[in-house]
Amino acid sequence: MDEIEQTNAEQDAVLDVGYTDVPGTMLTDSNAIADFLKKTKVQDVLNWGRKNSLWFMVNAMGCCGVELLATGMAHYDTDRFGIIPRNSPRHADVLIISGYVTKKYLPALKRVWDQMPAPKWVICFGDCAISGGPFYESYSTHQNVDDIFPVDVFVPGCPPRCEALIQGFVELQKKIDAKKDKGTDY
Amino acid sequence: MDANSIITSLKGKFPDDICDDIMESDIRIGAKVKPENVVEVCRYLKEDLSFGHLCCEFGVDYPDRNEIEVIYVIGSYEHPVVLTMKAILPRDNPEIESVVPVYWNANWYERETYELFGVKYLNHPDLKPLVLPKEMLGEWPLRKDYKGFPNKTARNLV
Repeated sequence: MDEIEQTNAEQDAVLDVGYTDVPGTMLTDSNAIADFLKKTKVQDVLNWGRKNSLWFMVNAMGCCGVELLATGMAHYDTDRFGIIPRNSPRHADVLIISGYVTKKYLPALKRVWDQMPAPKWVICFGDCAISGGPFYESYSTHQNVDDIFPVDVFVPGCPPRCEALIQGFVELQKKIDAKKDKGTDY
Repeated sequence: MDANSIITSLKGKFPDDICDDIMESDIRIGAKVKPENVVEVCRYLKEDLSFGHLCCEFGVDYPDRNEIEVIYVIGSYEHPVVLTMKAILPRDNPEIESVVPVYWNANWYERETYELFGVKYLNHPDLKPLVLPKEMLGEWPLRKDYKGFPNKTARNLV
């Protein structure tokens, strides 16, 4: 028992070391480096890399999710744009809201969004995600998803075709290239 | 076993609990049941009349009559007859005995009827909302006088 308490005290002592006092170091929760890079041409190179590796989260929420899954398959070969389906939110850059957001599902979707590392983007895929679709006056769906997530591209359709989703990705790439996306603040 | 003999047997066993029995056709029969004895009726149906399959269980709201009906649709694997059994509850305090001890698949049906209509099932093993969030409990959204629908707040309508 005493050893455990001693170990805990040692760990607390390690955690309490003030890194901010060490000269020449910078905490990773500071935005100073990123803010400096945004003013330079390096940001163009970063955006070129980001727009060509838009890995999307496989999060099939409704019937549009079938089109979302089909887009990731070999037939459309989205690898040539750098668009790869990922099964973990920690690997993903793009969250595709592909269906109605019910009141019970909204906390889980927010959790997925919070687990994704920045920079990250949102695509609203299908009429249900954009406005509620046929369920826009339902007692259990959440309206106006774009109030909650910073949506960059809306892809209408019921459901949209896979080519429409690919075009949505291309539009997102154009926005990132023009520095007008909402995923990273300029 | 045909529809006539099923109705006769049911009325002979429970003369006070079964009323308003109708025979729509050779394979569809209906009856109303007293809510107090629904478990005994269901046990008799399952064990003696070979009604082994509870197809569905749901509620219907009648604000004019101030009633909520709980409807059991029970089928069988032995004979082609399907029984539609209705229990009438008061709308202010709908309470009925759970039939989970007889038909185990009624568990989720009763949870759904509970969250949508507010029918309280006594002796249910785990009476909690099925698909709605817990915050919506008490709104009873499938009752006819439910006013919580969002009205013209959706933007971006396609």
